[in-house]
Amino acid sequence: MFDKLFGALYLKVFVNIIVGRTTITVYVEYCSGDEVTESFEKTFETLNLTKAVEEYISLHTAESPYFYISMLDKSQFQGALPSCNAKEHAKFIDISSYQAACYKNAWTYYTLKSDLLLVQKEYARVGLDFIFSPFVILAEFFKEKIDVHTAMFVLVEDSFLSLSVFENGELLFAEHLDMFYKEEAAELLIEDAMEDIGINIDLENSIDLEDIDADEELGDLEDFGDIEDLDEIDEIDEFSDEKELDSLMTQKEEKHPSYSVSSEGFSEDYQRFSLIQTSVKHFYKNPKYKSVFIENVYIADAVGLGGDLKHYLEDEMFLNVHIRKMDLLHEMCSMAKKELG
Amino acid sequence: MKFSYIAPRKKSALTPEVQLLFAFFSVTFFMLFMTYAFLLFKDYRFSEEKASVIAQRENLEVALEDMKKRIVFIQKEQVLAEKVFTGNVVLKDSIANLFDLVPQRITLSQAQILQNGLILYGITPNRDVYNFMLHAPLKSIFHRSYSSFYPEENGWLRFVSTNYIDEEKLNEN
Repeated sequence: MFDKLFGALYLKVFVNIIVGRTTITVYVEYCSGDEVTESFEKTFETLNLTKAVEEYISLHTAESPYFYISMLDKSQFQGALPSCNAKEHAKFIDISSYQAACYKNAWTYYTLKSDLLLVQKEYARVGLDFIFSPFVILAEFFKEKIDVHTAMFVLVEDSFLSLSVFENGELLFAEHLDMFYKEEAAELLIEDAMEDIGINIDLENSIDLEDIDADEELGDLEDFGDIEDLDEIDEIDEFSDEKELDSLMTQKEEKHPSYSVSSEGFSEDYQRFSLIQTSVKHFYKNPKYKSVFIENVYIADAVGLGGDLKHYLEDEMFLNVHIRKMDLLHEMCSMAKKELG
Repeated sequence: MKFSYIAPRKKSALTPEVQLLFAFFSVTFFMLFMTYAFLLFKDYRFSEEKASVIAQRENLEVALEDMKKRIVFIQKEQVLAEKVFTGNVVLKDSIANLFDLVPQRITLSQAQILQNGLILYGITPNRDVYNFMLHAPLKSIFHRSYSSFYPEENGWLRFVSTNYIDEEKLNEN
């Protein structure tokens, strides 16, 4: 009663933090009721909660006792799973070490508990009120598309990709992809890739089935009436069989030796494309996921993509690409407002 | 927790500044209330004292009236006492005068002092002694004087002298 009365009188301060590749961006919004009275944004050349960042946040949070600090989950070990049933989750991961939450009783988003605690500990000096999953932000951003389309939805962040496949509002597949693995992580990835190949070897029959699928795809693609494109598909399929490992390893090796990221959009877009391609292959091949053919991809662009990613996806994967600009900080802010109701 | 992994921290409008403000106003209101209570108490005490003083004054007035009455009564008593004393002094003087009047040779056996008279009983050697030595002064004092004698065995005479003062004659003087 008392708090509600004062809550209406006070300004609400929403502080949104995004940790990028080399910077921390803080976006602050002052709200009186539903109206935004002031907003501020500042980028700090650091990855930790330095004195300057802390002072900047404290300066704004001191304006009102009703302040809410939101952060985007940056854990590598996060994702989303179809259904809200815990028994269903067991098919995909052991959920016990993850913090999971159900999105509108339709699907589950999760992250590693220890990462969650770590980030809370790291930001203990200013405190955190909300930690949002990029999948939830993506789902809210493309709400009207997800409910009626069967498509792939990708949130492109500075160094992450949050990829999900929805069929009329039902989540089929989701994966969180880090563009810049550390060395040991890269080794693990290579091992994973080896395992994938192992699975391919084990499941030779499935390769035959894929061939059949490919034929079906070719059948579908006959509508295009372009034989050259079909040839290209064959080539891609060939990649996916044996040359894939080499190409994957080459890509990873290209990426990891120095961790230095090319400032040119081209290489980053190619990396993103590679990750999407790998992920889509994983989705198609893994029998755990309900397989649907992806024709459309909706990309939430939070970084300002060049046109290359679109071209790669269109030319190499024959996807209809729709890119929508997203201001991630504003989206987070509106999520925090929604969360408060 | 619809979208977030964690629940927001509990927010309260009671910031240290607001707490300080509340503390200040609380203390102020407390002091005002205490002052008001003190004034009420003092007012109550004053009313009580006033009632007590009024009652005391009424009692004193009553006591004063009583005292006045007593003073009047005492004054009357004093007047009476003075009167009695005066009377007694007069009486004493009269008696002393009376006994001074009685010569050595006459012996009084009884004297009755009346309001307006004197009755003397006594023994005299003879009638002449009585007439010259006692009857004459008595006659000069009283307006009316009567004497009667009867003899004793030894030859002396018992006498009864009855003397009166007439008030009419006194007023005339």
